[in-house]
Parts: sequence; C-alpha cells; structure tokens
Amino acid sequence: MSNAEQYQGNLQYAVDIVLCVDATGSMHPVLDTVKSSALQFHDRLDDVMAKKGKAISQLRLKVIAFRDFGDDASTAIQQTDFLQLPAQARNFEEFVRGIEASGGGDIPESGLEALALAINSPWETGLDRRRHVIVMFTDAPAHALGTHAGTQSYPASIPRSLDDLFEQWGYARSQTAVMEQSAKRLVLFAPDLAPWSDPIAEEWDLTLHFASKAGQGLEEFEMDEIIETIANSL
Amino acid sequence: MKQGDVIGGYRVTTEPTNAGGGKCIWAFAEKGGHQYFIKRFLEPKRPRDDAADSASVRIRRQLADEFEDRHRTIMNRLRPDARGGGNLVLATDFFHEGSTYYKVTERIDTSSLEKPQTLEPRHKMVLLKTLGNSLKQLHDIDVVHGDLKPLNVLVQKRDDATFHTAKLIDFDDSYIAGNPPEPDDIAGDSVYGAPEWRRYMQRDGSIGPEQLTCAVDVFALGLMTHLYLTGELPHHDRRYGSPADAVNAGEHLDLDTRLSDEMLGLLRAMTARAPRSRPRIATFLKSLSDPKVCALQHRRPGTAKATSPAAKPTPAPETAKPSGPRTSRIKTNLASTPRPRAAAPSPEPPRPAVAEDTPAPPATPPAAEGPAERTSRVRINLGDRSPRRGSS
Repeated sequence: MSNAEQYQGNLQYAVDIVLCVDATGSMHPVLDTVKSSALQFHDRLDDVMAKKGKAISQLRLKVIAFRDFGDDASTAIQQTDFLQLPAQARNFEEFVRGIEASGGGDIPESGLEALALAINSPWETGLDRRRHVIVMFTDAPAHALGTHAGTQSYPASIPRSLDDLFEQWGYARSQTAVMEQSAKRLVLFAPDLAPWSDPIAEEWDLTLHFASKAGQGLEEFEMDEIIETIANSL
Repeated sequence: MKQGDVIGGYRVTTEPTNAGGGKCIWAFAEKGGHQYFIKRFLEPKRPRDDAADSASVRIRRQLADEFEDRHRTIMNRLRPDARGGGNLVLATDFFHEGSTYYKVTERIDTSSLEKPQTLEPRHKMVLLKTLGNSLKQLHDIDVVHGDLKPLNVLVQKRDDATFHTAKLIDFDDSYIAGNPPEPDDIAGDSVYGAPEWRRYMQRDGSIGPEQLTCAVDVFALGLMTHLYLTGELPHHDRRYGSPADAVNAGEHLDLDTRLSDEMLGLLRAMTARAPRSRPRIATFLKSLSDPKVCALQHRRPGTAKATSPAAKPTPAPETAKPSGPRTSRIKTNLASTPRPRAAAPSPEPPRPAVAEDTPAPPATPPAAEGPAERTSRVRINLGDRSPRRGSS
C-alpha cells in the first residue's frame, strides 16, 4: 500500500541509524561481514517489524567509515549523508561496498571522532515518534579527542574532550544535549577497553555495549540485537 | 555487563541481551547456588559518589534520586499483603553498582503456549480472569500499566494444575492515572496503544495528561482478549496503522463473529474511542462468570456482519521466538522482600497474579534448570496466523 493510501492520522515513526565502521587494516577479516550485514539491514528490519505488526514510516541510514587521523588524515573519515531507504538504497550500497579495510597504523584509532560526528548528525525532528541509533563497530581503543586536532581535515566541530562529548550526548533535562533523549540509543560492538567500556558504556545513558574481540565480526546475534533494540522500542 | 562478570555478588552466566528488553539489557546470573535473572537499566546513570560537583552532576544526581523514588512509590502502592498479593513476584535485589542500576529476581523458566485460542472455554476464562485480576491489582491503586501487550504477560501452569494463569509483568513504565510522562517519553506499544495514547503522543490538543487513565490498559486488554480467544487481533482497514488509528478515525474494529454475543459486546465497549465509555476492569471480570462467554460458535449466514473484503488480518505481534534462551526474557520486579513460595498461585479458583516490573519469560525452557520447581511458566505464542472464518 502506498503512503498516499494510508490514513493520514496514523502515528508516524521515523528511524535514523548511523553506522560507524572501523575501516582500518585490522578489520580486514571481518569487514566483509559487517558490510554484508549492513546491506541486509533494511530488509531484516522490515521483516521483524512486519512480524510484530508494526511499520516504520521513514528509515534513513548514514555511514561513517573511520581510520586514524594520526596515520593518514586524508582517509581518516569517509561518510555519507543520511540516505533514505529504500529510495536511496543504491547510494547506500555503493558506499558500503566501497569501504576497504586498510591503513590505521597502530592502535588506537579515531573512533571517538566518528562517534562525535555521529552524535552531531542532522537527526530527524519531525513525525510523531523518533528513534535515533548510533552503532559503532570497532576492534580497537580510541585516541583521546583532540589528539590530532591540528591535522589536516580534522573537523573543527568535534569536541576537544570526552567530557564535552558526554555533554553533547546528554541526559534527561540536559541543556547541552544535541540528541533527543527519548529517541537515542548507542550500540557499541567494541572491545572491553577504554573508552568504550568505561566511561562510555558505564556512564552514558542508553548505551548498550557488546564486547567484541579483534577478529570477530558482526554475527547474527549482534545484528539481531540492533534490530531488536529498534523494533522493541516502537 | 558481560558473561562471567560478578555484579553485586551475582555472577552473570549468560550473554546479556536486549531482546524484548526496551531500555535494559538482561542475563541470567548465579549467587550462592541459586539462579537469578539480572536486569541492567540503560538509564538513568547515577554519578559516581566522588564526581566533582557541577550543574551536570547535580541534575543527574537528582534524576537518579527520582528514579529510585518512582520505583519505591510503585512498590509501596503495590503491597504484597494486599488481597491477591500473595501471587506477587517480588524482586530479590535492587541496587546500583558504579553508575548503573540493576534489579534481580529469581530465575523463572518457561515454555511456550503456542495456541491459547485452542484452549477449552473454561481454560480461556481462567486465563483471562487471572490476567484481569492482575491488572485490577494495579488499577485498584490507580496505577496504569501503560505497556500492556502479550510480551508483558507471563502465563504460568503448575505441573499439577489444570489451568493456565496469567501474570502481568514489567512496570518500569507504569504511571499514576492522569499523570503520565511527557508525550516524547511515555512508553507504549504501537499495536496495543489506546486511541488517546496515540493522540497524546501526537500532541493532539484535545488530549491532556488527565485523560491517560486506566482505560488505556482496558483498550489493550480488549485487544489481547480477542487475540487469546481467536488467535488474532481484531481486523481493521489496511489504511490504518493500528487498531487505535482505526478507532481514532471513527471506524469500528471488525471483531470475530464466532465470539459470543456477550464477549462481542464487552470487547466493543473495551475498544471504544472514548476512554470513559470503556468498562472498568471489575466489569471485565464480572463478565467472565460463565465459560460460555469465552466459547467460539459457528453462526448461521446472515446472523452477523460478514468480513469486509478490504479487511486484512492484523498480524499477532510479540510472539515468542522458537529459539534458545538468548531470545527469551524473564522480567524482574522491584520490591523489598522475596516472593513467599507458600503463596504460589492455585489453579482453581483463579487467583490474581501480579509481578511488579518483571520482564517477559524465555520462550523456551533453558537447558539447565534450577532446583525442582512445582510450577512451570509459559508465554503465549500465537503461531497460527491462518485467516479466521468470520468477522463482524
């Protein structure tokens, strides 16, 4: 049924998802799995929602592939705008297929910069109810924010400390949050190391941390967790 | 939280999951040879005691205090010594470790009841009465469950019992009638939500918080009653995203004409658009005085309105998954004392059973069982989606 045929008074749900993907060389064994899962994401979410008798009115995905500003600033961040699915599925697929695991040098990587960009994404503010999800896939710890702030192409908008980023993530009644408290979720598939396990998973609201080990990819279970997180909250 | 961690003395024995959990992740745990369920809240986070004073810390500390107070308020209102309170499933622990809040309850394993609609009418009646009694426990103290749906109903059948009984679980999002959370924050399910709940979320000017009452739960209970009796939710035109959307648009839901006249009238009233037109839970219970009310019957052609060709069955949501413990849930409740074992529900007559703030049970029985239990618990799994024979 087309949207035009739908009763206009129906409750409208908007789902925005930002996938932050570590594209450094160490992710090589698992990146194909991450990419494959990302490409299946829309269909699987639709399927789960339909089984629950639910539907999403608008789904947008954005991808941020990150490496390391300390290794090669020119390839440290590659990202899309929010892409509306299914209408822009081809653009999404083209970008995802183009991500290659390379570079990064030694750990840590620039995961916090990617997270900061994700938090400051242009999230949907309309429709009746929204879900804004950031998913982080990485096998490495992260540089402290601002470590490479002087390098070429380092985004000026990125907070200079993790405390500042925390305030942007926010909490109920926060005056500094840039995301909607009731809409947001942060799902971490990251090692049990700082800053992912502590302080982020420990002290940030609405954060789910599934500790990963280097060499382990996005498995069925992990994709299910993301989809469940979205579907159960609508 | 991850498998192997020890939190508050509880050793986490399974991989934590968000399955069915909303704003929590959960796992099974062990302590002192006993099996438990442990739930980690995703919000709020309590600032560490040694956190430097700042405006941010003060706000977050206040949020944490309010979170604790809200749970205590529900606990105080839902007292285990109230009539029927002997069936309350009580949390055995509630604490914060570091910045995170946790709840613990005994581990309760379950299996799936695939097709409640195939139960005999008397069995259906007992199931519905126990569900209604559970809800009445809340409504009697003016608390709205706020997220009533099959996933939040735990069905129990003792090994030596004849009947299934139902327990209502997960009160994390409950609120005092007329005093709901803000529209952006209020919980609820898009399938089982009441018309006024949806309009409230849409900030419809005609709906204020005072209109979010226990009637919200009655609407959901009406849908669930239809689901349990027939295997499907009431039908509605495909243009509408949910039963509530259809009702808000002035449409009647298509109820299954195999239902008894008494049940059709009851469900019609329970799914009315105006909250005040819906019966109270006591009326629901009173209507379930005779098993015949819960029977399905074959009507002669012409004795009821035929199914609309445009109508399409609404999928039965929230069915249990036929998979391992990872996809299953057990819910905790929040209270200060353990559940008295001596007060386990008796099958006949049905006894009210209310579990405060208790996640849904596993869909399948985990392999490792704890000490021999006299009871088993099942969650309803409506696997049969075949079109029904008639609707009004």
